[in-house]
Amino acid sequence: MPTLRIDHDKCTECRMCLLACEEIGINAVYMELEPRHRFEIDVHKCTYPTCVVCIMYCPAPGSIVEDETGRSLVPPPPDLWRDRPKKWLRDAILVPKER
Amino acid sequence: MDIHPILEEWLDHWVWPTPFKGPGVDFRMRITKERCIPMWNRIVIRALEGAKANEESYNSGDYSVALGGYSAEGPRMSMNQMSTQLLSVPIAQQEEYLDLLRMRARQLWDEVKHGSLHGDVLIRGGHVDAENDLMDEARANFGGSRGYFGLTATFPLIHPLARAAQNYHTEAGACLGIRCSLEVNSHPLSIHENLSQHYEEMMHFIEGKYQMDMFCLTPEDQRPVEEALDFLLWPPFIESRGVIPED
Repeated sequence: MPTLRIDHDKCTECRMCLLACEEIGINAVYMELEPRHRFEIDVHKCTYPTCVVCIMYCPAPGSIVEDETGRSLVPPPPDLWRDRPKKWLRDAILVPKER
Repeated sequence: MDIHPILEEWLDHWVWPTPFKGPGVDFRMRITKERCIPMWNRIVIRALEGAKANEESYNSGDYSVALGGYSAEGPRMSMNQMSTQLLSVPIAQQEEYLDLLRMRARQLWDEVKHGSLHGDVLIRGGHVDAENDLMDEARANFGGSRGYFGLTATFPLIHPLARAAQNYHTEAGACLGIRCSLEVNSHPLSIHENLSQHYEEMMHFIEGKYQMDMFCLTPEDQRPVEEALDFLLWPPFIESRGVIPED
């Protein structure tokens, strides 16, 4: 299966990927324990291409890429949103948060 | 209505893509089509005209337009806007609203940087020798419209989802305005002051998009967004920001 990685030359570290991934209970995005505390994606937890939530809410062009192909996924290419069936929000959330 | 190609491309890149379907997404799509796009289209047309004038001004060595940016996007506005967002959410609920403290801290950092970028343009362009000289310029120290930055610069307390509406609608306008500037302007100082701002405005726009998709699930959740748009699209408010509404 293809995997995602963050291109740190493009990422603005706004935290949207971390927040969105956490909100739906996947928790694949984490902050690396290195001096710059950059965001990374745990490929063992990430369910891409089933889940594309981080891609849809990333505001920085080119900052999330498909590792194997190097394809930029921000802004989201049409095959990830226009050409595929979507789940309901309630089915996408693994661990619903109390609000 | 003919949608400008710049807006059309922007909608395809940033507005229509969603990872799931649901009532929040449906709500956002409805208000986008009915309420936001007509104004965004006007903003693009006006921004292109303004960008051309700005390019001519910069090419002739007149950088005074950056004075307005320096006054409006500096620490004063940032503290005003960010404190509203923090004050509006009880501490126990802050975690529910997009990592509020960290994102606001990041936003404050960015906004202050924008003020510095405008100051840098004024120094590099020869308008002043040093930032201290801007203390003598009224236009560098006065924000002409209290409502320029919307609800959070006008009211001390707003519902967090009203802030989402402001992020979505107003920051889209900012993104499109900067996009138009970058499309038209080749002057290096214009690119210098706009490019980094584009990333910050995009962050806010996406923050609003995310909050609406994820949290505006019931009529009760959607009401603050509708009410915020009532204010943001209120003709006197729009006129105060320099975008003439369509009748």
